[in-house]
Amino acid sequence: MNRESVDLMRSVLDQEIVDADDVPCGMVDDLELSGGPGTALKVEALLTGPGVWADRLPWIFPRIARAIVGRRQSRIPWSEVASMGDRLKLKSTAKKLGLDATDRQWGRWLERIPGSEAD
Amino acid sequence: MKALELFLGILTSVGGFVEIGELTFALNAGSKFDFALLWVVALGTIGIIVYGEMAGRIAAVRKQPVFQLIRERTGLTAGLVTLIAANLVNLLTCAAEIGGIALVWQLMTGWAYRPLIAATFVLLALAVWFFPFKWIERVFGLLGLFMVVFVAAAIASRPHWQHVLGGFVPQLPEAATSSELWLYAYYAVALFSSIVLPYETYFYASGAIEDHWTTKDLTLNRIIIIVGSVLGSSLTIALAILGSQQLSARDIEAQLPGTAALLAGVSLGPWAVVAALIGMLFAFGGAAIETTLSSAYNLAQFFGWPWGKFRKPRDAPRFHAAWFTLLLLSTLLIVSGIDPVEVVEYSIVFAVVTLPFSYFPTLVIAADKRVMKGFANGWLSNALGWLFLVLTTLAALCAIPLLVITHGGRG
Repeated sequence: MNRESVDLMRSVLDQEIVDADDVPCGMVDDLELSGGPGTALKVEALLTGPGVWADRLPWIFPRIARAIVGRRQSRIPWSEVASMGDRLKLKSTAKKLGLDATDRQWGRWLERIPGSEAD
Repeated sequence: MKALELFLGILTSVGGFVEIGELTFALNAGSKFDFALLWVVALGTIGIIVYGEMAGRIAAVRKQPVFQLIRERTGLTAGLVTLIAANLVNLLTCAAEIGGIALVWQLMTGWAYRPLIAATFVLLALAVWFFPFKWIERVFGLLGLFMVVFVAAAIASRPHWQHVLGGFVPQLPEAATSSELWLYAYYAVALFSSIVLPYETYFYASGAIEDHWTTKDLTLNRIIIIVGSVLGSSLTIALAILGSQQLSARDIEAQLPGTAALLAGVSLGPWAVVAALIGMLFAFGGAAIETTLSSAYNLAQFFGWPWGKFRKPRDAPRFHAAWFTLLLLSTLLIVSGIDPVEVVEYSIVFAVVTLPFSYFPTLVIAADKRVMKGFANGWLSNALGWLFLVLTTLAALCAIPLLVITHGGRG
């Protein structure tokens, strides 16, 4: 990714993440940054999942949200980002990055219902 | 093929324009204030055209539905509050539609109300599970066109057309007491809200993505939303005229959806009652499905889940589980014995409170030349967009105080 500057708050945080096949696989719920005073700031990874966004809520809501939606979270190395624009596109599939665990589990239950193969 | 698509698109949006809330408020607005609130119908119709067109255009150009825009532009916390509020309103609206279907079905068969609610839930769940998106849109939209009988009934009731036309000029009711003025303001806000219900914009934009619209479909988008809404609003106007012609002098308040069918029958005969009941059955059914799917779209888009009826349930399992759960919750709410017309009154007043939070990000993105490039708003869309953002914000601020002052519209 070669860009002179990226507005992380506007173009990355709270944007949709899609995998190499354009399947949605979460939102950028937070960012993992490295660097310190006098050194360059570097984005190490995208963080996604309820355990991440719950922490961004104010007051007592992080505890309430975690109690309802759990603490699951995933880390996607920044090197996996293929392109930015209306959404962040990854180089690999959700399956390869392990981002489809919840959907695979729920999908196994739903595919037992007649008609689940219909488009 | 495009002409057929356009024709069906317009018809389905007309058939799906009126739901139980709009029906109730339009009838009672006519019954209480004759034609003096018709200008609100015109205003609401322009509002839904302006924001529906923008949301459809953003969906076609950026493939982004409304709740992604809300999250992107208002951030996580404000977006989450909007999501919860919008889905609570959808839940109430869906519950009211299910109750309305059961009431209409009861009138047609004489069967018991509660088992009919359960049967309604089963039929709606089967329709959403088995029908592709296009079928859902078309079956319910086209059969909802039986509602056109209300236009025929309104014409047959021989209103004074000059007075009807005079109703399109913004006005205050003549020689009104202060409590009547509050009631008039309450009805103006509620009628406006019932026309611009937020789920319609969420569903319309998500539907554009379900139908794989691209920039080539922008003319289709514009024609469907303009012609469909204008023709659809004629149903609302017809209901207000019927309310004025047949309920006003007798001082009757329409408490049940069946009242509307009887009014059509008074003007046109028994066959019109049957046509009106069939029309209401499918129009309410369509609205119940749209609200429940809209809630699932909102959740999936806000949290980045795979979504859409075009994906098999196993490929978008959280989305499919979400609409089923929300349909079930709405059914449980209405089966508990709450009056559907009372539920719809609250859902419509609360709906307008959430509206500015959906309209603001839609307007900001539709106007942003950086992201919309050559498809950004022109001066007219921008001017109307800001005007309606101000109007909906004012309506949102007044809605709950007016609900309290007028004791829920009872004066």
